[in-house]
This record gives sequence, structure tokens and C-alpha cells, in this order.
Amino acid sequence: MGALSLKDLHIHYDRQPVVQDFSLDIGDGEMVALLGPSGAGKTTILKVVAGLLAPARGEVIIDGQVVNDRPPEKRDAVMVFQKPLLFPFMNVNQNIAFGLKMRGDDAARRSRAVERILALTRLAGLGPRKVHELSGGQQQRVALARALVLEPAILLMDEPLSNLDANLRQEMRELILTVQSELNITTLFVTHDQAEALMMSQRVALLLEGRLRQVGSPRDLFHRPADPEVARFFGGGNFFRGRLHEGHFECDFGRLPVTAADGNGHLRTATIRPEDIQLATAPVDLPDSFAGTVVRTRFEGMATRAWIRCPFGELVVLTAESALAPGQSVRLRLPPDKIRVFSEASSSE
Amino acid sequence: MSRPKAVLVALTVLAAVGLPFATLVIWSLADRWFFPGLWPQAWGLRAWSYVVTTAGGQVITALWQSVAVAFVTAVVAVLVALPAARALGLYSFRGKDAISVLLTLPIIVPPLSVAMGLHLWFIRLDLAESFIGVVAVHLTFCLPYAVFVLWGVFSNYNPDFESQARSLGASRWRVWLRVMLPMILPGVIVAGLFAFLLSWSQYLSTLIIGGGRLITLPVLLFSLMGSGDRPVAAAVSIVFVLPALVALLFSARHLGGKSLAGVR
Repeated sequence: MGALSLKDLHIHYDRQPVVQDFSLDIGDGEMVALLGPSGAGKTTILKVVAGLLAPARGEVIIDGQVVNDRPPEKRDAVMVFQKPLLFPFMNVNQNIAFGLKMRGDDAARRSRAVERILALTRLAGLGPRKVHELSGGQQQRVALARALVLEPAILLMDEPLSNLDANLRQEMRELILTVQSELNITTLFVTHDQAEALMMSQRVALLLEGRLRQVGSPRDLFHRPADPEVARFFGGGNFFRGRLHEGHFECDFGRLPVTAADGNGHLRTATIRPEDIQLATAPVDLPDSFAGTVVRTRFEGMATRAWIRCPFGELVVLTAESALAPGQSVRLRLPPDKIRVFSEASSSE
Repeated sequence: MSRPKAVLVALTVLAAVGLPFATLVIWSLADRWFFPGLWPQAWGLRAWSYVVTTAGGQVITALWQSVAVAFVTAVVAVLVALPAARALGLYSFRGKDAISVLLTLPIIVPPLSVAMGLHLWFIRLDLAESFIGVVAVHLTFCLPYAVFVLWGVFSNYNPDFESQARSLGASRWRVWLRVMLPMILPGVIVAGLFAFLLSWSQYLSTLIIGGGRLITLPVLLFSLMGSGDRPVAAAVSIVFVLPALVALLFSARHLGGKSLAGVR
């Protein structure tokens, strides 16, 4: 019941381009995360889909119909803002029923729909409460319920978890996932938190500086970033240059067999995730390894992040080994299958 | 607050607000009150019977004129101030500082000079000695006050509420009526009350522009004061104060603590 397609969107704000060349297709019932650092233009895109902002160019297509000229109230897309924005002069029931009332549903029908959505969002019994009597998490749930009760074709959520503390965030995340799969609402949500995007969505669209950099499954973006900037956004820190030659990547760290196809003799950038580097404190443990010295470490709970100076540069390693000390000698190995060689010579390197 | 403290506060407020009124009430009930008497020598309802019977028609007309002028002034002031205050409170644009200075001008300049200056123009425009003319001259200072009050309201106002309402299916018109208006209602009432009371207490500008044709309560009051009949003036004063007091009490709950901010 809800497919969303954005075609070649250009969005300006005060005559400054904010979003350029943005195209994205979202299938019926799909949950897609629009990920990016703050200021990348994520919220702007949501507002354009909701009809609260007009694009300079491009088309918004809902269920095959171009809706550019439709005002927000006539679009089957409802936006939930970052703040709950509950109307303070209404109680919870009235807030949730607001959209139904605007649509012209009669009272009996409204109260049935509100009861149902209250139960679904675990707010049962809170209907008559005043808005300011609710906790932050409850307010956020009411805001979500107020949108869900309309059963829109497209649900747009702007950082639905960012106002909540850690415990509530997890609870709300589970709730959104449950409700979304239960109602099967096509959902586009905005977040700056990569972990949140990876956990909650079926596909992630990464937006950097107003441009769509990569769209794909969470695994795709995490393990096969399209370029160094995408890798860096997902916590990648090790970049090194080398040449592709006969199925091998020849770089300072050795001649590593890689699966990257063509590009013989071309200078390329490669990366390896910190947690993929193997580290050993005794030399016998690792074949094909090279030596390094620990520069500094940071304990992160489940793992320790270590900056290690090698003959060819510094590498960041995330290891379960928690007893590393600065100055210590270690052996490192880069598993060839974990190395990602970017297909284009990157502009940022 | 502890009980004795509360009683003390109540007594203080009562004394500050009530005592001046008490004098008025006593004066209005005095038949004869000459120096050096601390208390009237004779009590009576002469003043009140004069106000109700002899001058009754005059008082009723003046009361009606005052209410009409103040009410129309307040409504127009709020209606004109709303869009202006919204623009000033929500957007930044060139010349905003200049506008705020210009807005204070009618408040700083004495009403007398404003009224006298406008009088000539109003004669040419055929507005002098007319209801519209008096409302217009009252607006010159009521409007800036209304704009200032609502400006403050709108600088605490989050327009995202309107975007949210529209996304939930409310048309622009309904957003104004169902979302914006309830959110700013306390501020609108305060602004309207301000404008109403300002207009209500105008004497000079009404006299100059109204040219004695439009007799509002203050104008009648001054003429009675001039005749030296103090008990009658006191009685008319009470008639003059009461409606304003009622309006104030009616909207008192909107003046204080009730926050406009809501949940953001």
C-alpha cells in the first residue's frame, strides 16, 4: 500500500543547495534508514516527502503518483518530528485522535482506533492524561501513536530515539520494530547514529554533505563501503594505498591476495576494519605477520582499541586483548579476505 | 506558604487594592463631607440617585460608547498585531530593529501631541468627531502594546507544531484555528485586555478627536469632576472602574503562571 520513490531531488534553502541529486526507491512495507551526520540534509528530505518543503527540482512519487503539488494534509505520508510536539491543550486521547478528526472520522470510530493504537504502543490507560503528566518516553510514544493511528502509506520519522536516554531508547527501538512489522507501514527514518541505522532498518541510505553516497543492506554498508568516506563514517580508520596487480594488492604491508577484479597496475586505496586485524603478543602465533609497537590504548569494555606503529604507518586495531601497554611489541596480520579495495581512486585521499 | 504568611499577604493586597476604592465608595455615599471632618457629616444616596436617574441616560450612553470603542479597538489591535507579531517573533529579516524602535515611538510620544497632530489630518479625511476616528487614534498606542505582547508570545512559539498538524492532515486554515490559536490564546487575551484597558482609560485623545461628540465615560467623568460635585464624580468613577475590573478578573487566570510553552 505504500511505495515511495524520490527522483533526482534538489533541495535549496535560502538559495543554498542542501541536497543534490537525491534518488531513492523504497518498496512497500520496507524500513529504510536515512543515515548521515547532522547537517547532511536528512530532515530536509523528510520534510520534502511530507510536503512541508518544496524541492527546487525532482519528484516525490507515492504509490506511482507524483505528489509534488499536493499540500502536506493531502499526502498519504505522515511525519513524526524529533520532538514529540504534543498539543499541550489536548489530552493524550485528543492528541492521538487529532488526525482522525481532521479527516472527518466520527467519534465512535475515532475512539475505537485510538484504543487500538494505545494498546499497540503500550499506552493503554493513559488516554485521559494531560500531556505534561507524561514522561519523555511516553510522550514520544504518543507522538508515534498519533501518526500510526492514521495508517499512512508512508511513515516518516525524524530521529525518533534521539531525545530518549539509553534504556528508553532500546525499549522504543523494539517498539518501533514490532509496530512497523505488525502494521507493515513503509517507513523512512532519519538518524545520525550508525548503530541505530544498522539495527533497525532493512536498508540504509547514507547521506554525506547533501549527497547520497551509498544505499544497501546494513551488511553491505558496513563490510563493503563504496568509498573511504563511507568507511570512515562506519568507524573505519585504516586506509592505505597500493597497486592492484594480478589479483593481488601490493602495498607496504605485503602482497595481499584480493578478490577485486580489474584495474591492473592502478593506484588504489584499501581499508581494513580495526576489528578485522589479527593481533598477537607472541610471534609464533601468527604466520604472515609483521611487527608493530603499541603507541596508546583505550579500553572500550568489550574490546580495547590500540594504535599500533608499524614500519609503514600507524594502524588502529580493535582487539579482545585487554592487557596491552604502550611500548609493547606485537605482531599484526591483515587477513586478505577482510581487505576492501575501493574501485575508484578516491578524491579524499 | 504558611498560614499566617498567607493571611498577611492577603491583607496587604486587600489594603493596597481595596483602600483607594474604599475612599471612592465613601465619597459616593456622602451627602456632605466638609473639611476638617475625617468622616462625612451626612450620608445619603444623592450621588447614586443622580447617576442612576437624572444623569442615567448620559451614563448609560457613555458606558456603551466606552465599551464599544474599547472593544472595537482591542479586537482590531489584536487582529492587526497577530500577523505582525508572528513575523517579528518567528523570522529574522532586515530592518527588524528599526521596526521595534518605530513601534515604541507612539508609546514614548505623549498622546496629546499625537492626537493634536492627527486631528488636522482626521478633519481632512472626515474622520474627526466620528467613532472610527476615535478608534483609529486609540489604535496608535494600543496597537504597539498589542504587538509587543504578542511578539513575546511568538518568540516562545514553536512553528513545528503547525508543520506537525499539517502533516497529520490539517489544512492551513484549520491549523490556525485548531493549533495556533489555542496555543497563543493566553497571550491573545492579555494583548486584547491591554488594548481594551488602554482605550478604556483614554481621555485626551478621545476629547480631541471625538470633539465632544463622542462622550465616553472618562470624558463624562472629567466634566462631572469639573463641576465640583465630588460624590457624583466618585459614583461615576466606580461605574468607570467596575467593567475594567470585571474584565481583569475574567481573564486573570490567563495572566499568570499558565505557561504558553507547552510540550516541545
